[in-house]
Amino acid sequence: MKKTIALAVSLALFSGAVWADKLDEIKKAGVLRVAAFDSNPPFGFVDPQTRQPAGLDVDVAQALAKKLGVKLELQATNPANRIPLLTANKVDLVAANFTITEERRKQVEFSVPYFATGQKFIAKKGVLKKPDDIKALRVGVDKGTTQEALLREKYPQTPVVAYDDTPLAFTALRNGNVQAITQDDAKLLALLANAPDKAKYEISPFALTREYQGIGLPRGEERLAKFVNATLQELEKTGQAKQIYDRWFGPKTKAPLPRDFKIGDPT
Amino acid sequence: MNWPVITDNWLFFLIGAWPQGPLGGLVQTSLLALGGGALATVLGLAGGLALWAGWGGALLRWGCEFLRAIPVLLLMFWCYFLLPIVFGLDVPGTWTVIVALGLVSGAYLAYAVQAGLHAVPRGQWEAAQASGMRRGQILRWIVLPQALRIIRPSWLNQWVTLVKDTSLAYIVGVADFTFVANQVNSREQVYALEIFLFIGLVYWALCASLQWCGERYGRIAARD
Repeated sequence: MKKTIALAVSLALFSGAVWADKLDEIKKAGVLRVAAFDSNPPFGFVDPQTRQPAGLDVDVAQALAKKLGVKLELQATNPANRIPLLTANKVDLVAANFTITEERRKQVEFSVPYFATGQKFIAKKGVLKKPDDIKALRVGVDKGTTQEALLREKYPQTPVVAYDDTPLAFTALRNGNVQAITQDDAKLLALLANAPDKAKYEISPFALTREYQGIGLPRGEERLAKFVNATLQELEKTGQAKQIYDRWFGPKTKAPLPRDFKIGDPT
Repeated sequence: MNWPVITDNWLFFLIGAWPQGPLGGLVQTSLLALGGGALATVLGLAGGLALWAGWGGALLRWGCEFLRAIPVLLLMFWCYFLLPIVFGLDVPGTWTVIVALGLVSGAYLAYAVQAGLHAVPRGQWEAAQASGMRRGQILRWIVLPQALRIIRPSWLNQWVTLVKDTSLAYIVGVADFTFVANQVNSREQVYALEIFLFIGLVYWALCASLQWCGERYGRIAARD
């Protein structure tokens, strides 16, 4: 699969296809196509009542579509499909807890960050006290994430098992296939809050990184990027960004997490 | 066991996010299977006849061999992500899945049809010719029906495989039955056993009824 993606990406670079201005295209079509997670509460998941996608990323996508005055069309994605969806022009934007990295910037563009996290772990209580404890464990990761890349690079001797998404990795942890799983703190917090046997597990006291998540855009679409950045900053100014955050991470939610990053903060 | 996780989400398992969102669930899986199966049948018959008659030459043989030799999953992935990049062709996910399943199953069926045609005894041709039938008539009324009866088991095999292969639709984000089950599993987190046992049973029921229909049709056809 990795090879296929690499092939897709290299073809994308060689073909150098030129599209008309994306922002105009979206307005003309009346539809903003956004890739969002369908299996990662509370960023993107399927609401049991409405059977529709919901979550923090979905709310942000909705705000962007509303500002444009067009209809939002969501495309479910897993972490590994985010870049191919953009490069193949299957979606206009990616709002899927998409960590900004230099490596990814070679293929896609990013907006200003609208969320910040740190890479942490979940393990049985008492197993993980300091980063060096990782070396002795089998660790589950989400395929195609920055967490996977960092773990493989910093702890090459640690056996890494890659899963399609976080809930699957958590099931593996619960079944004893791996001894720890890694993701960003916000997602792990929500994951643990929903688990019936959460008393057995804990989130690592340390974080390996500080990561920032932005909206993923196709490369070379400056007007679209400008629009997304301006809208995100406006959401912060009007207090909507905080409202969205509080809906999923506020004190009344299952997994409260103090908001330590505002859109526009220095990174 | 916590069975309410199935009953509470029955509508989502059946139709996914439809009608506000895209069609999904068991209905989507059935449509993918029907579409792929219909395409495979047409391609298999045409391809098998052509292989048997020697039409299309090396090109057809290479095409069939190529399709038979690549994983369906990769064919879907290429059609969906590479066609837009290389040729600017935008194929929707649902059609990608139907066409990929139809092409690959069609290639398999073509070989089965070819083998079936070869298996009909030479004497059948000679007897039909002796009674004054033309080549096309012999094929249509004498040889093809017998060939199809011979290959019925492998034909049924291919359809059952195709039904199960619809679950590969996840790679291009088409919300088939397995895909929506995964979405429920990710949200509920701790009922994987119930959810995957349930969808396993449903796939079994689908394929078993397909086999039952095939056997029954075979018995009726044999009586004629």
